[in-house]
Amino acid sequence: MTGLLRAEFLKLRKRWMPYVLFLLMLVGAAVLIWLIGYDGSHSDDPEYAASGLRTFAYPYSVPALLDSGQFWGSALFVAVLTTSTLATEHNWGTIRPALVGGVSRARYLLAKLLALTLVSTVALLLALGFGVLLSLWATSVADATVTYPANFTGGDFVLMVSRAALCILPYGLLAFTMTLISRSTALGIAGTMGYMMIEAIIVAALGTGGDILQGSRILFLGHSVGALIAENRFAGLEYESIAPRDLNAPDQPGVWTATAVIVAESALLLAGSFWVFLRRDVTVSHG
Amino acid sequence: MLNATTTEPQGTAPDGPSVVLRTVGLTRRYGKITAVDGLDLEVRRGQVFGFLGPNGSGKTTTIGMMLGLLRPTSGHVELFGVDTRRDLTGPLKRVGSVLEDASAYPHLSGRENLRVWSMIAGGVPDGRIDEMLSLVGLSERAGSKSRTYSLGMRQRLAIAGALLTGPDLVVMDEPTNGLDPAGMREIRQLIRDLGAMGKTIFVSSHLLGEVEQMCDHVAILKSGRLLMQGEVSALVGQATALEIQVTDIDGALGLLSGLDFVKSVRRDGPRLIVETAEERAADVSRALADKRIYLSELKTRQSSLEDVFLEMTEDS
Repeated sequence: MTGLLRAEFLKLRKRWMPYVLFLLMLVGAAVLIWLIGYDGSHSDDPEYAASGLRTFAYPYSVPALLDSGQFWGSALFVAVLTTSTLATEHNWGTIRPALVGGVSRARYLLAKLLALTLVSTVALLLALGFGVLLSLWATSVADATVTYPANFTGGDFVLMVSRAALCILPYGLLAFTMTLISRSTALGIAGTMGYMMIEAIIVAALGTGGDILQGSRILFLGHSVGALIAENRFAGLEYESIAPRDLNAPDQPGVWTATAVIVAESALLLAGSFWVFLRRDVTVSHG
Repeated sequence: MLNATTTEPQGTAPDGPSVVLRTVGLTRRYGKITAVDGLDLEVRRGQVFGFLGPNGSGKTTTIGMMLGLLRPTSGHVELFGVDTRRDLTGPLKRVGSVLEDASAYPHLSGRENLRVWSMIAGGVPDGRIDEMLSLVGLSERAGSKSRTYSLGMRQRLAIAGALLTGPDLVVMDEPTNGLDPAGMREIRQLIRDLGAMGKTIFVSSHLLGEVEQMCDHVAILKSGRLLMQGEVSALVGQATALEIQVTDIDGALGLLSGLDFVKSVRRDGPRLIVETAEERAADVSRALADKRIYLSELKTRQSSLEDVFLEMTEDS
């Protein structure tokens, strides 16, 4: 497995795409802290100004960074990196030399999954770290006084990051599964991002319906993800976000229910991707 | 079906099975189309085995099933005596493969591609990558991105990758595709050298001359069915033909086709190739003259693999 992982890292390290995606995440963090948060805090609307302050001022910025980072990290970094990494192996035909070299399909897929998880984790944590640094800088130059929340510890920070990471996982696996099935970068990215966008609309629309419609939102990942992201807030305080979701949707599931749904759906996606890959033909042209 | 004899001993050699590759009733269907139909092949240790067939005959599908890329509809493959339904990855570690449309990571250099393949294979001794690059003549371009390589260079890189781990069996699907004549000659020589080193080579091709020059054994496939397999020397040596030029080629074709001592007749440019015994030359000449068709040239020739192939594929 070590050799397979080293091979994956070498292949990823030499591509330009992960660096561009990482740069986009840094730009997103800067936009959130300075443009939306810091600039917004100078608004004439006192409610919007307070919300802006909670977007850029540390540590209130942490939930805001994780909220936007979870959505765009899933949609941009994880989905694009995953689909591109998987689909190009089919497009270039390089999946075949690996499989005929005596590597089992399960190990091959597991190595891909582990490498993508590690690279995504490191990149998104670095982007979060960059966002926190910008937040500390913006807090230090802000003319408003920021009150540090009571009882906020490092453990709380880790718990917040873990919740956001758990919320990225199913979308990464969705991209993984869709790409394995379609063997196409375009379909993998469009499918994952399309699902995320449409899901946000459907979940919001169902929230306005009756009991049955509201209850059916539990089938959508976004509803449970929204519940966990909402849990990251300091005492439910609002902030500005660039993620299209409603954190105050009615009848959100509890933390444990949401976690169970996310874990179960992730497991289904993971099992589905392995089931398909272990059984399907790795196509070669017919001579 | 033509059967040529095998001179190698049957059974199991002390250091392992002498049959390194066997397919048993290997079949693959795509809907109503049968791409490979009940294929029984046997490749023994040390053979340079040519797998011949026209385009679309099922060669690549067969190779895909041998290497575990495609699932057989029925039948199975044995590699080094191991049924690959039970264990695929173990035997595949002893196989090097050059697949059709040589693939490489375009953003990596030739050397980095080989590094990736060596990592996947679990590592190779120091210097092995440079040794392989040198063997296939890519040392000077080893640092260039493979996207800048010609098809022939990518093919040679794929061959280097296939040989990286020192496999016991090398499977090559149309290895000279896209190569210029000099490159084709180099690859043919490389395959002969590997054979001389005792490696077992399984090489598919639709180029008959190529197979005749490289291989000691051959199997001929058409429409997914095995027409024959055997030694090249036995096939080529067993038949002779008359090569004739006549005043009326169409008339001669019709006439000779009807003679009971003529096995087959076919055109070869301005000539006719008449499959018959050498001593029948006078009978051929007499039969033509009786119909006022006159010979301008007659010579005997030993059948080439191409003759055998065309005879078998046309007959079938």
